[in-house]
Amino acid sequence: MNRRDFFRFTGFGASAALLSRLADAATGQLGFVPTNTGIKGRVVVIGGGMAGATVAKYLRLWGGSGVTVTLVERDAAYTSNILSNLVLNGQRTLTSLQFGYSTLASRYGIKVVRGEAKAIDHVGHKVLLADGTSLPYDRLVVAPGIEFNVIPGLETAAAQAKVPHAWKAGAQTTTLKNQIAAMPSGGTFVMTIPAKPYRCPPGPYERACVVADWLKRYRPGSKVIVLDANSGILAEPENFSHAFDVIHQGVIDYHPGVTINSINASTMTLNTSMGALRANVINAIPSQRAGSILTASGLANAPGQWADVNVLTYQSTVAPGVHIIGDSSATTQPKAGHIANQEAKICADAIVRLLAGLSPDPAPVTNSACYSPITSQTASWLSSRFAYDPATAKMALVAGGLVEAPSISKDNYEEMFKWFNTLMEDSFA
Amino acid sequence: MSKTRLWVRALSATALSLAAVSAQAQTTVSAPPAGRLLASNCFQCHGYNGRSSKGFEILAGESASEIYNELREMRQKTGSDVGIMEAHSHGYTDAQLKLIATYLSKQTP
Ligand SMILES: Cc1cc2nc3c(=O)[nH]c(=O)nc-3n(C[C@H](O)[C@H](O)[C@H](O)COP(=O)(O)OP(=O)(O)OC[C@H]3O[C@@H](n4cnc5c(N)ncnc54)[C@H](O)[C@@H]3O)c2cc1C
Ligand code: HEC
Repeated sequence: MNRRDFFRFTGFGASAALLSRLADAATGQLGFVPTNTGIKGRVVVIGGGMAGATVAKYLRLWGGSGVTVTLVERDAAYTSNILSNLVLNGQRTLTSLQFGYSTLASRYGIKVVRGEAKAIDHVGHKVLLADGTSLPYDRLVVAPGIEFNVIPGLETAAAQAKVPHAWKAGAQTTTLKNQIAAMPSGGTFVMTIPAKPYRCPPGPYERACVVADWLKRYRPGSKVIVLDANSGILAEPENFSHAFDVIHQGVIDYHPGVTINSINASTMTLNTSMGALRANVINAIPSQRAGSILTASGLANAPGQWADVNVLTYQSTVAPGVHIIGDSSATTQPKAGHIANQEAKICADAIVRLLAGLSPDPAPVTNSACYSPITSQTASWLSSRFAYDPATAKMALVAGGLVEAPSISKDNYEEMFKWFNTLMEDSFA
Repeated sequence: MSKTRLWVRALSATALSLAAVSAQAQTTVSAPPAGRLLASNCFQCHGYNGRSSKGFEILAGESASEIYNELREMRQKTGSDVGIMEAHSHGYTDAQLKLIATYLSKQTP
């Protein structure tokens, strides 16, 4: 924090939250931007989500004030997907999951531009925004999250509004919450899970549990039917099997290996490889691909339209100077927010080293952590670590590096909020 | 974190702010501190440089041997003793743990 920011802070009305933030900033607890690293460069970041916000912050913390960072984000505030399943059972509001960009701007001197990135000119080293602005860069980081593929039958906006995925927290999360609340007792909720890779491997199983837990109490006799395109539970198999077979026994009906041919939103019918099904609520999670800015720029060059990267730097394998982090990149790591934050740190460190004329760290390590609510009071968790494997040039799961919680517990549920608060602080504050 | 450490932190907040403004060390372009990138794997739960205000235990300023030994002990745990931290301790080599512990021990709590 520089002197001007310090006085700007103190000029604000003195709410308790602000005072404590001031104290945090004053102790340097959250770090400050050094002025004389000798490193210089212009970096543009597209997308201010888990990956983009973190990379912008760490480029300044580790690169210093000579590294100018412009963050382009279409929304005024970020809405966290993490914990958004708790909006469905009324334990969190969407507003409580929103994070603004003013702290990144004031504390770290990041230039935040509200706008839509429309095109990348990776030969001319510029980003073009929808309003016509052109942003030149020395290094570009693209972190746009995901785009959804369309399930046959759900081509229109009206059909998509009636059969929401709610896999990007926001308006669809509220729609789904309202649809669940409007279900009759003895109703049917169907969720469909796409083939991997998709955003947040444990997320759909977690959602099935949270919805089942709510329906059991408030809409007795209802069923949650889970149609999974994968051949089995992809994450935390022990704990989710226990949750499906014991905790939510008789409510969750899990079917692996089911593909969806089409969905009719008017009749609320799914046409699937196990026959036709009707439901009161259909939560269809489509398969996904890299953000549209990447497909439009020819940078989604991996199978399934994800972006292939070198995991020492997260540089695109087709466009030098362009780094791609978070869900859009094709790596061996899960598409998750915690690990997007760590990919961002590796990318920031690599960019700072490259700008300084040094080589990237040859042995990066990443970690993923995910807490999954199972009921309104209990949760499970998953933890994994990856290290760079020079033989394959990929991030490989380390030996003993994938662990799920030994049991589903109340302690885990309490810990989940501490984890969430610190993770979001590390990314947005 | 102990109560005393909390108390000292609160007391020294204002004094340190002045230090933060002026203490911008003279450096030329040099390699980043050893262990920093590895230790950033701890920040999601323990806060930036191990100085969390709302997360789990503060690590900054603990002695390097304390952090190193704790991590090695946690790596031995199995079964129902495995919390998310014990799980996390798997996967670092001893050399990496030393780098992480040394980096964190040098941060001001
Ligand atoms: C229900 C659910 C639960 C989840 N739970 C967990 C969990 O417990 N733990 C975990 O680790 N992960 C979890 N995740 C996954 C996590 O949310 C994502 O993996 C993470 O958000 C990915 O980060 P990202 O930065 O790649 O994308 P995002 O966080 O989606 O950010 C992308 C940003 O880019 C912006 N953007 C995109 N294109 C443009 C453009 N052209 N111009 C300007 N701005 C643009 C978007 O507006 C957005 O702000 C969960 C996901 C869901 C859906
Ligand atoms: C996913 C979250 C998470 C991550 C990431 C994480 N920790 Fe922890 N850590 C915890 C939790 C939770 C505890 C408390 C464990 C307990 O009390 O049983 C803890 C406790 C500790 C302790 C013991 C606390 C004390 O001072 O007595 C140490 C040491 C520690 N962590 C070091 C680290 C280091 C070093 C890293 C990075 C390499 C790290 N942690 C990454 C969650 C995490």
